[in-house]
Amino acid sequence: MTLHQGRGADTARQKLSPHSRRISKKPMNKSIPYWNPFLETLPRERLERLQLRKFRRIVRWAYEHSRFHRALYEKAGVEPDEIKSLEQVRLVPKVEKSMLRPIQSKDPFPYGDALCVPLDEVTEFHQTSGTTGQPVYQPDTWQDWEWFSECWATLLWAQGYRPHDRVFLPFGYNVFVAFWTGHYASEKIGCETVPGGVLDTQARILKMQELRATAMMATPTYVLGMADAAQRKLGIDPAKDLFVRRITCAGEPGALIPSTKERMEKLWGAKVFDHAGATEIGAWGFECEAQPGGMHVNEAMFLAEVEDPETGDLITEPNKSGKLVISALDRLAQPCIRFDSKDIVQMSPDQCPCGRTYKVFKGGVIGRADDITKVKGVLLAPSAIEDVVRSFPGLSHEYEVVVEKRGDMDHITLKVELAEGSGQDASSITEKLKTELRFKTNLGYEIQTHPYGSLPRYEVKAKRFKDLRKRGDA
Amino acid sequence: MTRQPALTEIAAQVDQLHRIAQELYDRSEDFPALNRNLKRILASIHMLRINLEEDAD
Repeated sequence: MTLHQGRGADTARQKLSPHSRRISKKPMNKSIPYWNPFLETLPRERLERLQLRKFRRIVRWAYEHSRFHRALYEKAGVEPDEIKSLEQVRLVPKVEKSMLRPIQSKDPFPYGDALCVPLDEVTEFHQTSGTTGQPVYQPDTWQDWEWFSECWATLLWAQGYRPHDRVFLPFGYNVFVAFWTGHYASEKIGCETVPGGVLDTQARILKMQELRATAMMATPTYVLGMADAAQRKLGIDPAKDLFVRRITCAGEPGALIPSTKERMEKLWGAKVFDHAGATEIGAWGFECEAQPGGMHVNEAMFLAEVEDPETGDLITEPNKSGKLVISALDRLAQPCIRFDSKDIVQMSPDQCPCGRTYKVFKGGVIGRADDITKVKGVLLAPSAIEDVVRSFPGLSHEYEVVVEKRGDMDHITLKVELAEGSGQDASSITEKLKTELRFKTNLGYEIQTHPYGSLPRYEVKAKRFKDLRKRGDA
Repeated sequence: MTRQPALTEIAAQVDQLHRIAQELYDRSEDFPALNRNLKRILASIHMLRINLEEDAD
């Protein structure tokens, strides 16, 4: 019988009616602090067993479906089934971004032979920003996209986002992955999600005010820039005149640099949280509501290893910085297995009071292996300079660092701006700044103070550290 | 925290859900509206499985 015959058909039609909805009598418990109460509190031993199982599975998947990975593993003499422990994960060769660029000139266009699914299965295209060279293309299936937004949902829930939130995204989505999955995760959680794409900064602020947005996502640079524009151009005090009470930052460090976080929280009257991720990896890290001074690794979805940048040895003890090598355990179209992220991280010795069993990286991503550089023989992380500059209320948010050779000597120039209407004496700030920087970084600086508004402004990722000793950084 | 749901029972129900969605998907090659929506449903069901997965060895 078809649906168009007899009384039974009417019943069937009623049952199939797209307008018949059943509202659950038991609404979701919004006070649960975990998106996944099961995985996020799994005892370490069980969590590590899960990671091993998933790691073996993704390596097997890549070995069977990607010519690139098979060749890589065969050359290293690794069989997926040989991996019997988390220690043996290190038998699997690492992948660097530079290895992905040449393979993308091969078939199938435009992804090359690391693609593990038929092209028909790919529903999402994104690419890396190309900051460090030719961009890498990232294919995702609908399944991968579901997984990516799930990782974001985990972090937004951990930061207190709930269905009653109205989330504003002041960002023009495009070929870069930034905030796409934040948008979908916000929807997944049930938040009302407002795309603030092509509006300019002032229009975005006014729209946020009009709609009484309660949360937003942006880069730290833009969070500070928006507050500045609100105050100076619109006479709006974000902390008093807007309704934003939580902000998720991504794209660059800042939300875990104490003085930058403090500035943002004070300006907006909101809690500011950090998050880490990358196009090729996924959304792997997040700060939770407890704000433990660091970031959790979503260890149910990622396997994070920290290694000594010089020797490559595994670092297992806390409080020792190393380079993050990371695997996405469930991403299928273009797997991310033992990817050399170049992020510098440091494990915390403490367990987070939030109750998650996931590891915490103290200070989040504390630098990039590419950025941390030796100046006068001393290791210098740009984030350390930012922390000092932004702890001075008499200075604006903007600064610029230039490292260059003068004769045989390294020379650092720090350009800072006086805050608008600060009325402070530039020479006294300069002296205090020099002392504080010497104390925090063990280096001497030439300080140049500039009037407010004279240094470059950035909307997304800022380029404030220029090492002119390196070619191409001028 | 409130009590943990009976995960094994939920996982078994998710498996049933997957079986039904897969059967419907396999029969939907001439019905794009069903085929594409089922593809999405299968991805969501797979996400449920990931959310419940643990090594039971």
